[in-house]
Order: sequence, then structure tokens, then C-alpha cells
Amino acid sequence: MTDDLPAGAAHLAFDGDDLHAGAGPGRPFMIDGRCLAGEPVRGAFAHVCALADPEAGLEYDHPEVQQVRRDALAWWIPMLGDSLICITTLALDEARYGGAITVTRGPFDFAQDPFARIFAGTLVRTDLLCEVAPPAGPVIERYAGVAWPGGSFG
Amino acid sequence: MKHGAGDAFPDLDLPDHTGRARTLSEVMGGDPAALIFSRGWWCPKEQRYLRELTTLQDEFEVAYTRLVVVSVDAPETQAAFRAGLGARFTFLSDAERRWLPKLGLLEETDTLHHPYRPTVFTLFPDLRVHRAYDGYWYWGRPTMEDLRQDMRAISREVREGFSA
Repeated sequence: MTDDLPAGAAHLAFDGDDLHAGAGPGRPFMIDGRCLAGEPVRGAFAHVCALADPEAGLEYDHPEVQQVRRDALAWWIPMLGDSLICITTLALDEARYGGAITVTRGPFDFAQDPFARIFAGTLVRTDLLCEVAPPAGPVIERYAGVAWPGGSFG
Repeated sequence: MKHGAGDAFPDLDLPDHTGRARTLSEVMGGDPAALIFSRGWWCPKEQRYLRELTTLQDEFEVAYTRLVVVSVDAPETQAAFRAGLGARFTFLSDAERRWLPKLGLLEETDTLHHPYRPTVFTLFPDLRVHRAYDGYWYWGRPTMEDLRQDMRAISREVREGFSA
């Protein structure tokens, strides 16, 4: 994984059981930096659809990785409603997808999480992540390498 | 029409189709946008137009451009309509008709629903109007090709490296 973060990105690590701010301990990812930029929501539920295995990754341009972002915009985010705190994909570098995290205020039917179609989900309690307005769509592309839905050209 | 080419469009603050408070600038995210004022789910012309617009989202989603629909439908109605369309863009609800009079877009001939007059604005990222379309008569609306051309013109102006 690249050590240089694009503007608007932040590091988050997953060790298979817990999330950690920064590049470790565990497997480091780049996330939408807004998720760490505000007041953290205590006791949130994070559905981490990623593996600790450092080999687990796909191109962001892979059709299924595109499709899960479409599904997130179409029905997953609306279904989460007010429970949603934030959502971010997990970038490995400027081109590769390592997973996604959906963060909610309470337990949810995470079996429906579209991101779990790619990498299986693990439910984690966390005090790290803050509220971010969900993406408006329909853009599913990334801005200058920042993990979707973060970044902008504006 | 109050707002025409070159005018600054107001930064609308309205709930989206999930009921979450939003601003127009927030949902545009610094991108060019097509802002569509629509009568509502009940109107066959709106159903037809939004079905076609939904086919265009496949291009907008990879082109760093946004689609935003405003109507007087309640958020839960918009959510159902949006799901039925298969739309992945944002609907904003002015069910309280808070912005409708300020924008001067009341459709005065519909005294039952008091909806927006169908109008489309193509916007620069800073909310300047590129072009306005009066869609009261269906053929006044921008075709999908019109929207492509407008997004091309705006992107050419605001995107670095977009050569003529």
C-alpha cells in the first residue's frame, strides 16, 4: 500500500477483529478521510467487508466492484436511513479495492450488505468513525484516487 | 423564468428522498449537474421523462456529473418512485413548497397538486446556470443529447486537461 495519501484520504487498519486509526496494527487501508475528520460516534456498528489477508484485493474498475457501488446508491443507503453514520470503500492504492465499511448507529440486517458479495463482512464495534452525509450519486468513479465516495474536483 | 444563463442559482436546502437534510451544493459535490424540477410521480409526462433520464445515469456515473430532481412529492413518495425507476441519483423534496414561490416555478394551471413547472437547469459546479429549459410543453425539455452537450460544454470549461 502506498504511504502517500491523496488529499481527502486517511488511513484505517483492520486486524480481522477490530479497526484501528492509522496504518496499523493490522492490514492498512485508505478510506474517505471525512469518516475520521469529525466527532466520533461512540459504540457504532461497523460492518467491515474486508479480509485481513493482504492478498485480498480487486481493481476498482472490476465490474462487480462497480456494481456494488451502484447498489449502495440505489437501495443500500436508502434502506439504512437514519441509522447510517458513514460509508467508505477501502482503497489499497490508486487502483485497487480492498473492501468497504458501512457504519450504523445500531445493529442492522447486514446480510443484505452488497459489499459483502465481494469480501465477507465482519461486525465490529467502534468508537473511531464519525457522521458523513451519504453520497448523492450517481457518480461511482473515484476522485483522484480517494476511496469512494470521498474526494471531489471542486 | 427567474434564472437564466449566467445567473447564480440559489443553494437549495431541502430534504432528500430519505428525509435527510441536504443542500444543492452538497449533492453536486463540486461537479456539473442537471437540475430537474418535476411535477411529481403522478404525471405521465414526468414518468416518461424520468425513465429516460434514468437511462442516462449510466453515463453521468462515470463522468463526474450529477443528476438532481426536485418535486413536491414527500420524501417517502420520492423514495418509492426512485426505486421504481431504478434511479441512483438524488431527489430533493419541496413538499412544503418552501422554495417553489422563491424560484417562481409554480405551475399555475395545476390547481390540484400545486407542483413545480417542469424546468431543467444545467449548472456549473459553482451553481451558475449554463442553460435553462422550460418543459411545460414536453418538447421544451432537454433531450438526453441536449444534456450530454451541456455537460460537455460545462466540463470543457471547468475541467483541467479538457482540450477543445
